[in-house]
Amino acid sequence: MVEENVKNLREGPMGWVKFYRKGIGYFAFAMHRFSGLVIVFYLYLHLFVLSHLLVGKASYNSLVTSVTYGPFDSFLVLDVLLALVIFYHGANGTRLALNELGIGLHKNKVMFYVFEVIAMILLGIFLYYAYMFLGAS
Amino acid sequence: MEELVVEVTRTDEKGNPKLQSFNVPKDKVSTVLEALLYIKENIDPSLSFRYSCRMEICGSCGMEIDGKPHMACSTTTESLKGDKIKVAPLKHYNVIRDLAVDIDGFFDKYKAVKPYIIRDDENVKYESELLQTPAQFDEFIDYSLCIKCGLCMAACPIEGSDSDYLGPAPLAAIWRYVADNRDQGAKYRLEIASGPEGTSRCHFVGECTEVCPKGVDPSYAIQKLRGSMVKYEFQSLFRRH
Ligand code: SF4
Ligand code: FES
Repeated sequence: MVEENVKNLREGPMGWVKFYRKGIGYFAFAMHRFSGLVIVFYLYLHLFVLSHLLVGKASYNSLVTSVTYGPFDSFLVLDVLLALVIFYHGANGTRLALNELGIGLHKNKVMFYVFEVIAMILLGIFLYYAYMFLGAS
Repeated sequence: MEELVVEVTRTDEKGNPKLQSFNVPKDKVSTVLEALLYIKENIDPSLSFRYSCRMEICGSCGMEIDGKPHMACSTTTESLKGDKIKVAPLKHYNVIRDLAVDIDGFFDKYKAVKPYIIRDDENVKYESELLQTPAQFDEFIDYSLCIKCGLCMAACPIEGSDSDYLGPAPLAAIWRYVADNRDQGAKYRLEIASGPEGTSRCHFVGECTEVCPKGVDPSYAIQKLRGSMVKYEFQSLFRRH
């Protein structure tokens, strides 16, 4: 019976999203993993798009204009979401690095909130300037 | 009399989980362990679970109660709110039967860290005990309160994705001895902690600390251990071999 149950032992990635009755540290962990995967996915996507430059200017331009075509650039929404996960991941990663160096170990939950609030303010500033830049160009 | 529904995840003849509900009397003082004992004595004697001391000392009654690892003997049904509680075996362990899980894997990991004082002069006979100042005692006492209940191992999501990871309690035990000035086994211990299944796997989720019934704070111990390892590795660069 014990052997038969071994297969049930590992929770796998679906276990990450079981937030019920878990602490904020668990939420931070699960979101860190999720945002990390999004960033890695974006990195490959970014390299894929850039690799078109090897073929030539025309190839690159046609790819870029094909995904940003139209009166409303829907990719802008994804860009904002990407900035959100990068700021989240960066702030939580900084907190973890400090914690692992022994800084703020007993205040790690407060640090999570403080770092994320700062990150979201910085995200707002970043988006504002990005918007101004887009408006100017 | 008011009643409480206890929904237990049991194992059928083939070892697969199945849910079974029982009605037990509801009051303000009974623990989940007492509710299970009521079921065993009055409704279904085949219900299996592990317990001994009934006072959070032996560490044997760990189970998942309403989705979170708890000690059944120190969790009152009143504290859980509602008229229904869900009881299941601890995650990340093989189920032997109903709520009783196989803790051998956990104990093997615990033994691997040599959870006892190691001395270079172990053949020397001491005339008296090794004295410590209160400050030296305070360095490790909290980590020595572990009752090996294994709740932290069930709560840790890393333990849930890699069974080779040493896990919170064994790593906290390493720190307990590293922080004890009588111990001279730091080299051996830090080598285990810095191995592939050691502290590098910890992502500082902190669920181990959330569920620990004795306030051991394994997640804190693991981060302290990391700091010691960096110091140890740095010093070893200048040490003559
Ligand atoms: S560290 Fe806490 S939760 Fe883990 S085995 Fe020890 S007493 Fe139980
Ligand atoms: S019965 Fe001993 S800890 Fe619960």
